[in-house]
Amino acid sequence: MATLGSYLLLAAFVVAAYAAAMSVAGARRRSNGLIESGVGAFYLVAAIMSAASAIIVHAFVAGDYTIRYVQEASDSVQPLFYKLTAYWGGLDGSIMFWVFMLSLFGSAAVYANRERQRELIPYVVATISVVQMFFLFLMVVHNNPFSTFLTESPTEGRGLSPLLQNFYMAIHPPTMYLGFVGLTIPYAFGMAALITGHLDDSWLRATRRWTMIAWLFLTIGLMLGMLWAYEELGWGGYWFWDPVENAAALPWFTATAFLHSVMVQERRGMLRVWNMSLVITTFFLTIFGTFLTRSGVVQSVHAFGDDPKLAWMFTAFMVTTLVVSFGFVIYRLPLLKARNELDSWMSREAAFLANNWILLFSAFFVLFATMFPTLSEAVRGERITVGAPFFNRWMLPIGLALLLLTGIGPLLAWRKSTLINLRDQFLFPVLLGVAVGAGVLALGVRMWSAGLCFAFSGLVVGTILQEFWRGARVRQGATGTDLFTALIGLVGRNKRRYGGYVVHVGVVLIFLGFAGSNGFKQEETGELRPGQTMTVGGYTVRFDALKVTDDGQKQMVTGHITVLKDGKEYAKMYPARWSFRRHEDEPTSEVAIRRSFAEDLYIAMPNYNPAEQIANVRVTVNPLINWLWFGFGVAAVGTAITLLPETAFAFAVTNVPAGAVTTSLLVLMLLIPAPARAQHIETGRAPNTAVQTPLEREVGHAVVCMCGTCGRKLVSECTCAKAEEMRSEIAALVKQGQTKKQILDFYIEKYGSQQPLAEPLDEGFNRLAWAFPYVIGVAALLLVVAIARRWSRPAAAVAGGDYAVDADLDSRLDDELRNLD
Amino acid sequence: MSHKAAKLGITGLVLAIAFGALLYTSLGESAEYYKHVDEVFATSDSAQTWYGKRLQLHGFVAPKSWEQRPGSLEYRFKVQSNGKIVQAYYTGILPDTFKEDSEVVLKGTLEPDGFHVTPDGVIAKCPSKYEAKSASGTGQGI
Repeated sequence: MATLGSYLLLAAFVVAAYAAAMSVAGARRRSNGLIESGVGAFYLVAAIMSAASAIIVHAFVAGDYTIRYVQEASDSVQPLFYKLTAYWGGLDGSIMFWVFMLSLFGSAAVYANRERQRELIPYVVATISVVQMFFLFLMVVHNNPFSTFLTESPTEGRGLSPLLQNFYMAIHPPTMYLGFVGLTIPYAFGMAALITGHLDDSWLRATRRWTMIAWLFLTIGLMLGMLWAYEELGWGGYWFWDPVENAAALPWFTATAFLHSVMVQERRGMLRVWNMSLVITTFFLTIFGTFLTRSGVVQSVHAFGDDPKLAWMFTAFMVTTLVVSFGFVIYRLPLLKARNELDSWMSREAAFLANNWILLFSAFFVLFATMFPTLSEAVRGERITVGAPFFNRWMLPIGLALLLLTGIGPLLAWRKSTLINLRDQFLFPVLLGVAVGAGVLALGVRMWSAGLCFAFSGLVVGTILQEFWRGARVRQGATGTDLFTALIGLVGRNKRRYGGYVVHVGVVLIFLGFAGSNGFKQEETGELRPGQTMTVGGYTVRFDALKVTDDGQKQMVTGHITVLKDGKEYAKMYPARWSFRRHEDEPTSEVAIRRSFAEDLYIAMPNYNPAEQIANVRVTVNPLINWLWFGFGVAAVGTAITLLPETAFAFAVTNVPAGAVTTSLLVLMLLIPAPARAQHIETGRAPNTAVQTPLEREVGHAVVCMCGTCGRKLVSECTCAKAEEMRSEIAALVKQGQTKKQILDFYIEKYGSQQPLAEPLDEGFNRLAWAFPYVIGVAALLLVVAIARRWSRPAAAVAGGDYAVDADLDSRLDDELRNLD
Repeated sequence: MSHKAAKLGITGLVLAIAFGALLYTSLGESAEYYKHVDEVFATSDSAQTWYGKRLQLHGFVAPKSWEQRPGSLEYRFKVQSNGKIVQAYYTGILPDTFKEDSEVVLKGTLEPDGFHVTPDGVIAKCPSKYEAKSASGTGQGI
């Protein structure tokens, strides 16, 4: 199967090359046959990639550990869901998944536009095929997910990293890739337009939906990543300005800019070079992001390996992309001339322009700061880093400016706003903004950034309400229906505009979430023993007990915590630490979160001591954080509205009572942020007691855990269920008044040997055991000396000659032999 | 046309200078030098030049050097690289991956008595040979 997979990848590469060559040749010779052949080959790549994906998924499910990638990213005890998602759990598979997605997405886009964009299609196919070829090439020569072990293959896998065994992390990468891959489509159409010279706005119309879909996936992908960081990493935040996170955000900034500036081009025929450059930059940033995170160029806590070879391949591809793309832009400059000029700075297009500048500035600022350590090392020879505070200081005013523009932009008229319509438009939103600002001031908020954020949010909401209200009134007057029907009809008539406003509502919620969880976060850490309490932000947290359970795949240490609010019991919470089999040294934090509309109570237990019944807990109160997730949900719904087909709205208006539509939309919105999932399933076991006497502690250090899987861990340190049982046994024996010697004898008798003892008793024959390691050591040393002497004798005649050895294969063989132990 | 170009050019220049100046000043405040322990302690007095400066110190946790004050979250441990070693002080919760010999990056300032780590300033890398996707860090991000 692995061989078949490798051949399929090779075949995909050849077919993609064929598709690119044929469609270009067809377009140049005006031969429909050749073009058709190229497009057919392009679809074939999707088919081949599907087959290859089926093979790798089969290998994961069947547990074919002869394939290195399968062995590295899964094991037999992993739940089926994570076996499936292990497909994109590592570098090689994620590249393959990328190509798979690109081939599907590209085929769909080409199929949808095959009639309308006849002139562009051949070059779209060629562009996407070349991108596919690059990634296929990477796989074939460097990161083949189907490569097998050269020597004896292991019978069990190493298992997906426990941190990735989380629902959000399982679906985060494919969502992200869909976003990244989707952004290749507008790039391909843009390039096709540049190459053919068909630079009217038809390429923009063709790609509008695809850009929107890609943007939607990118946004959801970012949110899932944040949710994962929030729930899995256990430090109470969701964004760390880590290079990997930044890499994902970079194309989001430019894609958002593009979504806005596209409207200026459609409406006014301006910004044509700008839009083309944005599309190219966005595509470049998706590749650059992948490069950043996979090549070891920047240091990140997401410790990816250094891979200079991969880095060089990516660099070559990126430089080529940039040079070719912008080369064509310069070549076509005469055709890209703007049809209009900016009439006034008091116009919608000026607001869009400002929005674009800010977003582009954000992208370049984040890029600059992310690359700063690498840049400073290159320029000054010293690695200077900038941390999250630096990012926050800059992105805070930038974000506020963007929020302000979100409120102002829709109020300005195209071309030029007169003073009278400015007053007419701004009166209500500004009043609402001021009222909200005054309100939070009265509530005692004394932080300028949060206050401004609330005020601006009021302004934006006012703008959106006014837009909907006026639009609906006008439509009501024109059609003579009730307000709800008019509202639905209004949205249906101009889905992009009103869907966009819904997205803006989501953005407001996101900003409020940022303001709340950053400005008003409260956090305490403490070391608690059973019965002890600590108080954070009105909550009193009482630590009850520490329990240890095991479900076969992992060991779970759970802190039992009762939370009191106003003297009454508010919640029971169970922060836990899970140690997965074969990943014992990478325990994961299972955070306990009590969500509410106003704030989250977030308890993590980063450290514990089962013998002493001590837990270190970090208690965080995160105000408004759920508004953040909810805002993302609303933004997704807004995007979905813009993507709905015309017929859906026509149907809704004519056949369904308007109220029903509104209600179902509202219900849909409420459903979007997934309900809080259960963090932990308690299997129940009586809480054990803390160590009572010094003798108990001493014995705990002298006896090892006898469960057989813990690798002779001391009873006092081991976290498995057996150790807990043994600890209570020891406690009982101590209570009976037995001495250490008697207890140790008890265990020797119970297990029939000295196996339970951490160290052999220091007496008689056992002394030999102490000496044994030294004996072995000395013997080994002597052996080494003897061999060294023997081998360093001049060779009389060395048999054989030089073998032609592939250096790469050789080093891999070495690696595997080393790992065999 | 040339009048417009000049206006645009000047606006662009002013903006660029303003942003550049802002960037430069804020960078100066929040930049941290990224150093390995053996770089800071290369010679007997090279460490003195770093006293009081904000650093990100890279090294490995020295075996058996890790102590905790009972009943508190105050830790004391030594960090080493290439034979140079320094005492570090930290109060707070250590990340999951922090253990003996693990690779760490500490944020803080160097003082004559040792390296004082800022709260949540310990980032430990995953020691596993598995191609790790993520090591947990504690941080003062959002």
